[in-house]
Amino acid sequence: MGVLGMQVKMEILRILRNPYFVFWSLFMPILFYFIFTKIVNTGAADQSQWQAHYLMSMASFSVMGSAIMTLGIRMVQERTQGWSTFVRITPLSGSVYFFAKMSGQMVIHILSIIVIFIAGALINSVSLSLMAWIGSGLWLLIASLPFLGLGILVGTMKRVDTAAGVSNVVYMLLAITGGLWFPMDILPHFIQAIGKWLPAYNFGNGAWAIVEGKTPNLSNILILTAYLILFMIISNYIRKKQEAV
Amino acid sequence: MDSIVTLKEITKTYRAQKAVDHVSFSINKGEVVAILGSNGAGKTTTVMMMLGLLAPTHGTVQLFNKDPRSKAVREKIGAMLQEVSVMDGLKVKELLQLFRSYYPNPLTVEELINLTGLEEADLKKRTEKLSGGQKRRLGFALALAGNPDLLFFDEPTVGMDITARGRFWDTIRTFAKAGKTIIFTTHYLQEADDSAERIILFNKGAVVMDGTPQEVKQKLSKKSVSFITDDEVPLKVYEQLPKVTHVYRKRERVYLNTDDTDAVIKALIKEDYNMSHIQIEQGRLEEAFEQLVAGREVL
Repeated sequence: MGVLGMQVKMEILRILRNPYFVFWSLFMPILFYFIFTKIVNTGAADQSQWQAHYLMSMASFSVMGSAIMTLGIRMVQERTQGWSTFVRITPLSGSVYFFAKMSGQMVIHILSIIVIFIAGALINSVSLSLMAWIGSGLWLLIASLPFLGLGILVGTMKRVDTAAGVSNVVYMLLAITGGLWFPMDILPHFIQAIGKWLPAYNFGNGAWAIVEGKTPNLSNILILTAYLILFMIISNYIRKKQEAV
Repeated sequence: MDSIVTLKEITKTYRAQKAVDHVSFSINKGEVVAILGSNGAGKTTTVMMMLGLLAPTHGTVQLFNKDPRSKAVREKIGAMLQEVSVMDGLKVKELLQLFRSYYPNPLTVEELINLTGLEEADLKKRTEKLSGGQKRRLGFALALAGNPDLLFFDEPTVGMDITARGRFWDTIRTFAKAGKTIIFTTHYLQEADDSAERIILFNKGAVVMDGTPQEVKQKLSKKSVSFITDDEVPLKVYEQLPKVTHVYRKRERVYLNTDDTDAVIKALIKEDYNMSHIQIEQGRLEEAFEQLVAGREVL
């Protein structure tokens, strides 16, 4: 196995063994899914459409969480504990290290999406066309990039406590204002207006469109791309500033 | 001579403070070198610059005649640093395998176990579950993973018990015999004396001595010849004697500090001063070192 393969494999193992990942990105979304499609009557007109819609919400919620929190907090940990410094004296290049981290994280996203989709199929026998399954899965994977960017931004923070606190709040706020926990219609209008410009709504909305047989809006794609670029520019700037000291 | 480490006029300034001040030295293949000094003397900063982890404000560092950050250099070095925790979420064996995959000619996991005192049972443990001592051993194993030619240890024995310490130095001696170059920092003179062939003594960011442990000890220890005399010979007269570095009187006794007590005695006898109760004092080495690192003594 090459250096990159080995590095990716270890990154994946580390995430799978992280109890926070298992709790927040697998257990919680599935539990929420069960509660809001089986126990609580949401009064949706079309039950099977709601079940598919909410499955996408929870898959988005899961992927978003592991991208922001698992990745971000781990990056801060590795830096504060001197591990990132130590890796710099090994022949492993910084770019391979970074690329492996991102690839490992993407594999985890694929895995989370598959697990949550299977949960949906088992709990509510959600049935979609093969194209819709694959299409929404691919959307969730590719459109998760801005959240990886946000995770990297969290990863530039100095202390693990700060990173954990900030990323938790950002994660929850994004999930609620993005209509991932419950449909946006029930939120106050001004929050809806803001939420439509935030990345979580645009992320979920693409997947919701796909399960309804539509294609994601161009605005969703453009807004997510803009966030990706923005997060990359900010974290690059911060990193340069930190290195200069 | 094959110079493996070359530092030329290295200075590191943090804000207005000079942590390392115009340090130059080179280290040859196969040397075991102790960088000795108190906390804050600039040892760790110097090691970090040798490893390419810190950029010197002025001056150049080369390892194997190359930039320390180049891949060719990193393949030949290993290090154990302070305040480095190990990657969590992995078992010891997995972490060792991962590290071995970085290097072209790694040691086998078995060799690493034998050299560092890790146990078979530890291999299956997650790194975050290891005790402090086991973590140190794992850190040692990671430093050796690539079978490096040049090894750096920053305060390696801090946190090691006596058995671990003994084993650590045994392994270091084996490596030194195999022609590897070893650089370690310590603030214990004893440790430097026991384990190194050469001591580079740091004080306040500068190299104040560089030589064999014998030479360093000789320079550090203040030897003296003293005697009781009734003569009213001015102290200045004794200062003119060869090899005498300092003269002082304490009660009825006159003390002549020197590196070479034999020469001083010969000179005193030749001059035929009125002397009684002549004593030679070897000076207490540890005390001299403590004074030096505490900054009370100016060299």
